[in-house]
Amino acid sequence: MNLRRRTLLALPLLGLARPVWAADRADVSREVLLTWHKLVLELVRHTATYTPPVAARAFAYVGITAHEALASGNPALISLAGQVTDLAALPARADGAHDDPCVLHAALQAAVAEMFHNTGPTGQRAMEAMGRKLGETASAGIDSAVVDRSIAHGKAVADHILGWSRVDGGAVIDNMGFPMEHTPGTRPQDWVPTNLIRLQQAPLLPGWAQNRPFAMPSADAADPGPHPEFDEAPGSAFHAAALEVYQTGRALTDEQKLIARFWSDDPMLTFTPAGHWIAIVLQIAERDALPVEVISSTLARLGVAQADAFISCWATKFRYNLLRPVTFIKRHIDKAWEPLLITPPFPEYTSGHSTQSGAASTVLTAIFGEGFAFDDSTHVDEGLPVRSFPSFAAAAEEAAISRLYGGIHFRFGNAKGLDQGRAVGAHAAALRTAS
Amino acid sequence: MRAVLLALCAASPALADPQVPVFADETATAGFSTVYEGEWEYMVGGGVATFDCSGDGMPEVFLSGGTGPSALYLNLSRVGGALAFENTGAISLDAVVGAYPLDIDSDGVMDLVVLRVGEDRLLRGLGDCRFEDANAAWGFDGGDAWSTAFAATWERDRTFPTLAIGTYIDRKEEAFPWGSCTDNQLHRPDGDMFAAPIPLTPSFCALSMLFTDWNNSGQPSLRVSNDREYYKGGQEQLWHLDPGAAPRLYTDKDDGWKRLRIWGMGIAAADITMDGFQDYFLTSMADNKFQILKDPSLGKPDFADLAFKTGITAHRPYTGGDEHPSTAWHAQFADVNNDGRLDLFIAKGNVAKMPDFAGKDPNNLLLQAEDGTFTEAGDRAGVASLATGRGAQVVDLNLDGALDLVVVNRWTGAEVWRQTEAASGNWVQLRLQQDGANRDAIGSVIEVRRGDKTERHEIASGGGHVSGSLGWLHFGLGPADAAEVRVIWPDGRVGDWQTLPAASFQILRPGASAEAWTPG
Repeated sequence: MNLRRRTLLALPLLGLARPVWAADRADVSREVLLTWHKLVLELVRHTATYTPPVAARAFAYVGITAHEALASGNPALISLAGQVTDLAALPARADGAHDDPCVLHAALQAAVAEMFHNTGPTGQRAMEAMGRKLGETASAGIDSAVVDRSIAHGKAVADHILGWSRVDGGAVIDNMGFPMEHTPGTRPQDWVPTNLIRLQQAPLLPGWAQNRPFAMPSADAADPGPHPEFDEAPGSAFHAAALEVYQTGRALTDEQKLIARFWSDDPMLTFTPAGHWIAIVLQIAERDALPVEVISSTLARLGVAQADAFISCWATKFRYNLLRPVTFIKRHIDKAWEPLLITPPFPEYTSGHSTQSGAASTVLTAIFGEGFAFDDSTHVDEGLPVRSFPSFAAAAEEAAISRLYGGIHFRFGNAKGLDQGRAVGAHAAALRTAS
Repeated sequence: MRAVLLALCAASPALADPQVPVFADETATAGFSTVYEGEWEYMVGGGVATFDCSGDGMPEVFLSGGTGPSALYLNLSRVGGALAFENTGAISLDAVVGAYPLDIDSDGVMDLVVLRVGEDRLLRGLGDCRFEDANAAWGFDGGDAWSTAFAATWERDRTFPTLAIGTYIDRKEEAFPWGSCTDNQLHRPDGDMFAAPIPLTPSFCALSMLFTDWNNSGQPSLRVSNDREYYKGGQEQLWHLDPGAAPRLYTDKDDGWKRLRIWGMGIAAADITMDGFQDYFLTSMADNKFQILKDPSLGKPDFADLAFKTGITAHRPYTGGDEHPSTAWHAQFADVNNDGRLDLFIAKGNVAKMPDFAGKDPNNLLLQAEDGTFTEAGDRAGVASLATGRGAQVVDLNLDGALDLVVVNRWTGAEVWRQTEAASGNWVQLRLQQDGANRDAIGSVIEVRRGDKTERHEIASGGGHVSGSLGWLHFGLGPADAAEVRVIWPDGRVGDWQTLPAASFQILRPGASAEAWTPG
């Protein structure tokens, strides 16, 4: 049996026994959910504050909003209230009929509007157009009283979740996430800026680990432990790790360069690493015609896993404050060396992409199963080819090693990041979204 | 890396600070009333064009109006006096984003290229600041795009210019406009007409274009600065434009072109390092870029970014109390204090009401010091407007040898400043004229001796942010009482070195001695 199909049959049988009319409405809900998320991906790319940790946080809240909007009308679904940190019970639906597409649309419209209130004029125009068009789609043929009641409930769900989000520590991003002042470390292994961009002479979001986690108990719940002891001496383990980055970078194959660029996922130019995994889920949802409830609960748990992964990873990064390979290599190996990718403006250990990919693969494997093959066309618009993976774990491992090929991480930062992410993801995988 | 880089970056604490010019804001009295209006489709632009259409040598000013009317203002200023302009009532068009002057038909009367949301217009000058639409007469397909960039050159042996017009987003796309950049167009001549435009595919939402001979090959290439907000798979671009051949992109594989992805909004070019090659300042959001060739001997368009080291990142406001990152648009190198060193003006302003970027974003006036670094002086010079700046021109509006400034703002009136206190340095102003096609000698090079170095000044039509000038070319001379200059004409002829007296206007023609001209 095809692994994809076998796994899908094992998913909760949500929505499979609906009457015809309800099935039609489920299709509309599905369209609403997928289309809003496609817009969210673009907004992440085109909103200046949306660096990877910030993007992951938004995906979590938008995903939870969608899940809770549907869960409020479907007894087979389980709310995340009481499962994720500090989320109180959501408002119940009022008496009278509700229409799920209208509830879902209203909830997502409100959530996206607040999450991306700071996007530019084109994003504002797109949100307005999306709200109008999907609103028309959702409400077509539905009694106006039902529409009004549904919209009110959708907004109430969004308001509840947005109120919860505003006090998590990550709601306000100043100066695109870079502190106005920064005191550099004084140890030889301390991170130093790696580019000549004025804004990035301070590290990105040094306080991000103070944010409230979603499913893991604390920011250090998945502490990967220390990196190899810093040592500038040739022959030391640390020097060898840097030498590996250097030598790998000088002998990259075309395939390795492609892998590095495929998982580069730069903010402001792509959907970010978290968005890459969201895009993978959206592609699978379309390919396999997943029921809307499965998509929404998957997006919620994936968002939670990735948001927690960045909190965990940032705790590690600023605990160890380790320099980047390019700094070590220029100091001790080859002062003219340049990595293939642009080095991100924050400490090396652990790798953020590896951590959140480990978390994402863990939660997706828990939902879809081991050996779930998929194609990834996330970057086709950017001119990069479709890549095929035999499993989520394999994709995560490729994402991790891509940072070595790109010259921006040591191998140990990737490996420990993957481990760290898997531990974080286990918390999200344990969330219950359906009975 | 060239030695000049090291010289630029060397600390020189003993050097004197550049003299700060003094500007007076004459917006209220100069006679301008045009406002660049409009919402989403006018979030970029508007531009300003300055050129003489009355025949008195004084530059007139054309202002874009967006959804409001554009306007052409006649320059009534007296030499060295207060700025005075009068709306001629000519060129009152809607949907105008920007404009560039260009004598397209080489009849000695300036024409105007008007970039619009919708059909672009070529306006033929008729004299006395009268114009007529010449799209049909010249076979020009004005399209129906959102035009946001322009550059022109005369290809060899052509009587008509080649026009490059950059376009922006497909404005019909509402919910998913990203990735919808429409094709830029290359309008090559067919005799004294324009042939059907050639799409410059791929196009990545251009906000500035410039024909520039980046490697001194004698063959200009087309540099395009693109807004990464809207493209997918895009980057900054450089096009080969070989005679008789289809335009062809520079690539990393074939040419050593290095990928750069910024919110590209404006290009300013000048030989700041005085190594004989053009350097390029690229405006963006937050940090801006200042590119110089890493190694001209390699012949590869591989640039180093010296913005940080020279002090022109201009990444956030320096006054006004708003510390959010800046948004930069028009940039222009010009010697505003006549000390013999090019300075840098940058028009700044929020795209709309983006809360993560400065809402009060002062324009920059960065003065170059002797060591090649720059010092902010916009506030001290009096030009640190907090309006929402876009296009601009640094130009001598009253022909007194001191550069003045006009800036188009979004939603509020254009602003104009007159330099009121004479700088201590000398100056000379030049015009190039040649017979036949390309009368203003677009594509020529003026070389100016600066001590033991030579500054190479390309005569271009394009760049900036939807704004351009054709007229007197200003050169500060510092304490020198004469300028040593020569011209390399577009056909490759190299003129003799000439010594021209300071504080004079000179008309230069191929094979002839300079002709002095006196304003007024």
